[in-house]
Amino acid sequence: MTGGFEIKEEIWIEKYRPFKLEDIVGQKETTERLISYVKSGNLPHLLFSGPPGVGKTATAVSIARELFGDGWRENFTELNASDERGIDVVRTKIKNFAKTSPIGGADFKIIFLDEADALTSDAQSALRRTMERYTSNCRFILSCNYSSKIIEPIQSRCAVYRFRHLTEDSVAERCRHIAEKEGLSIADDGMEALKYVAQGDMRKAINALQAAALFDKTIHRDAIYRITATAHPEEIMELLKTALSGNFVLARKKLDTLMLEKGLSGEDVVGQIYRAIFDMDVSGQRMVDLMDMIGEVDFRLTEGANERIQLDALLAHFALTKEQ
Amino acid sequence: MEESIEWVEKYRPKSLSDLVGNKKSIVDMREWAESWLSGVPEKRAVILHGPAGVGKTSAAHALAKDFDWETIELNASDQRTAGAIERVAGSAAKMSSLTGTSTKRLIILDEADNMHGNADRGGARAVGSIIKTTDQPIVLIANDLYGLTPSIRSSCIELKFNSVQGRSMIPALKKICVEEKIMCGVGVLEKLADNAGGDMRSAVKDLQAVALGRDEIYIEDIATSERDTKESIFKALGKIFKSTDPKSALQATYGLDETPENLIHWIDENLPLQYGTQEGTEEDLITGYRHLSKADRYLGRVRKRQSYRLWRYAGVLMTCGTVVSKSHVSRGFTKYQPPSFWRKMGQLRSKRDMRDNIASRIGDHCNESMRYSRTDLAHLYGRMLKDDAYAVDVAVNLDLNVDEMVYLTGGKKVTKGIQKINDLAQAQRSTYGNDDAPVFFEKKAVKKVQDKKQMDLNQIMQSAASNGNSKAEETSKTVNSAPKDDPKPDQKPAAKAKPQRTLFDF
Repeated sequence: MTGGFEIKEEIWIEKYRPFKLEDIVGQKETTERLISYVKSGNLPHLLFSGPPGVGKTATAVSIARELFGDGWRENFTELNASDERGIDVVRTKIKNFAKTSPIGGADFKIIFLDEADALTSDAQSALRRTMERYTSNCRFILSCNYSSKIIEPIQSRCAVYRFRHLTEDSVAERCRHIAEKEGLSIADDGMEALKYVAQGDMRKAINALQAAALFDKTIHRDAIYRITATAHPEEIMELLKTALSGNFVLARKKLDTLMLEKGLSGEDVVGQIYRAIFDMDVSGQRMVDLMDMIGEVDFRLTEGANERIQLDALLAHFALTKEQ
Repeated sequence: MEESIEWVEKYRPKSLSDLVGNKKSIVDMREWAESWLSGVPEKRAVILHGPAGVGKTSAAHALAKDFDWETIELNASDQRTAGAIERVAGSAAKMSSLTGTSTKRLIILDEADNMHGNADRGGARAVGSIIKTTDQPIVLIANDLYGLTPSIRSSCIELKFNSVQGRSMIPALKKICVEEKIMCGVGVLEKLADNAGGDMRSAVKDLQAVALGRDEIYIEDIATSERDTKESIFKALGKIFKSTDPKSALQATYGLDETPENLIHWIDENLPLQYGTQEGTEEDLITGYRHLSKADRYLGRVRKRQSYRLWRYAGVLMTCGTVVSKSHVSRGFTKYQPPSFWRKMGQLRSKRDMRDNIASRIGDHCNESMRYSRTDLAHLYGRMLKDDAYAVDVAVNLDLNVDEMVYLTGGKKVTKGIQKINDLAQAQRSTYGNDDAPVFFEKKAVKKVQDKKQMDLNQIMQSAASNGNSKAEETSKTVNSAPKDDPKPDQKPAAKAKPQRTLFDF
């Protein structure tokens, strides 16, 4: 951007990554406990489990910042376990970092293992004694989507914190905060759109917001949907209703509009149909049957089948099967 | 500021007498150690085995402290190839003669059940030979006794460490609280001990997690931290089995810290207890399983293709599908059962190991794959063992012991006949001077560990499909979810890719 002395952070998800535990939204109980750990100056090994984009990395970084102050980077190492997942990494890289003393008067350092569930279980079991032996030097923070993918002996060494899906309100709160800082205004329909595309993932919401801000200082829903290659939820709803009323030909026309004119991929459409089914007025049995069909189409798409043919088949199924 | 050290380390037992629970094993261990004071005992090593956090590693280190022995520890964070083990443990094992003192060095092989394929090549074999020759005491530590080769096990004393009872943890927890100057509300420690599920380390860790930064802890402080876990799976199951609203059931599973792979076992376990138990609701059970089976198909697709997006359909089909399968709602309290599948798998393991061990020897003898040997040849050998004309030769050729013969002939215990075959076989072996027999066994043992995962799958396959045709392969993949007790799932592809050699390889 500008050639000033200070390098500006351009990506908002980094620029607005919370620096303090108290700034992390939507995980109140967890952050409260962590704040008291930081106050005590001590920390158990931690295991964060939860869906993506809910603040696991932000929390780990915040802990390091609050414990170590400005020099936090020297005593904090982040390893993405899905990039380096073998047993050798644990036996060399991680062990070496754990062995060496903390820098600058800190009591210990922190190793943050992101996506630890991607570690092979060999690697996980190689980790357990390292966690114990160097506990005077080093604390581990592991993050994963499901703690059940972490072997029992490691869970038994960590305090496990479950991060929840962010509520729509939490997403809205943070977006509003950013908009204020950036001098943007978010229209009501824009906020609805942000919540819809985010699906509880803050990262998605902020990326969409930043992209939309490049076009206009006022954030409208059209910009959000266009940028994220998302159809308006109403359009999808209409598509479904048309199909379910039995009018296959018209439904297919609507589908063509979405895919050809709006440039949605088959996967996008299927994903949105999946979400829309929950809002449809159909019986539970019918819903489950339709879901099975949607899943079948989704599976075929991942296998490389033709998008248009598969989606046509889906619509035909919707239009021509009746509820028993 | 307090010293920043993990409480689990800070309060690790210093002496055997500080250990909580497992009195019998600890007494036996001490006796074994005392026998070292007067020369080399018959069994030079002990295996401490049992679940996580019950004090196995602590016991080993405390033993060394009590006897004033030095320790050398090798664990899974060290590379453990044959060379590395011989260098470290092998030299230590002969050290005493050099220093000339009578002090022993305790060699601790932690996580001995986790010797890994290529990274630790030859490790298990090296351990086996060191145990037989060492003049220093060795302690092996393992979660899973069956992860060790039979030849190692046979030369060690096996000491089982069980889960620690909740109430016996309380005095130790109390002591920590006194040291750390923490006031505890009524029932706090009891609750912590109870939650730990027999895992002492986890109790201490939980105590620290709750107590850090506080002077006083109350029962409510614990309640918040545990609310997410066990309770919510039962709550979700309640929604699935008792409600008529598929969406709310699905919602309830969103907050769970369980993969769909695990959740389906919970539903599978409880479905027959909930549905079809009353007259006229049999159809519910069939419909329920139809949905569960569809859900499982998606899980299989995810496993095969790593397209995790498809998990959502598995989730919908197993939860919403189960909800809509019920024709009426049964009221009243239900106690949901945790999946018994994993436990049973563990219990059957020794039997499976024996079966696979035999099959691999038959395979070597006949130049066939292990699978073919197991499905098509083992029963033939069983027959031959019952025929006096062949029995002794079979026993010699396959190097069968009495237990293995009992297994092959489908009997329950050692009969006179089998004993006689065994005696004759022994006589024949000594006549021919079977020199390479030990090597033969060792080789088997190492190979067995590598192939074990694959065999686990085969086992499931066998129980699922009655005969091993090509369809069964598919089944085995679908069922292989067997997640938690599975010590090394990532071995699977490797083991699969490298099956036993067959005739077609040449």
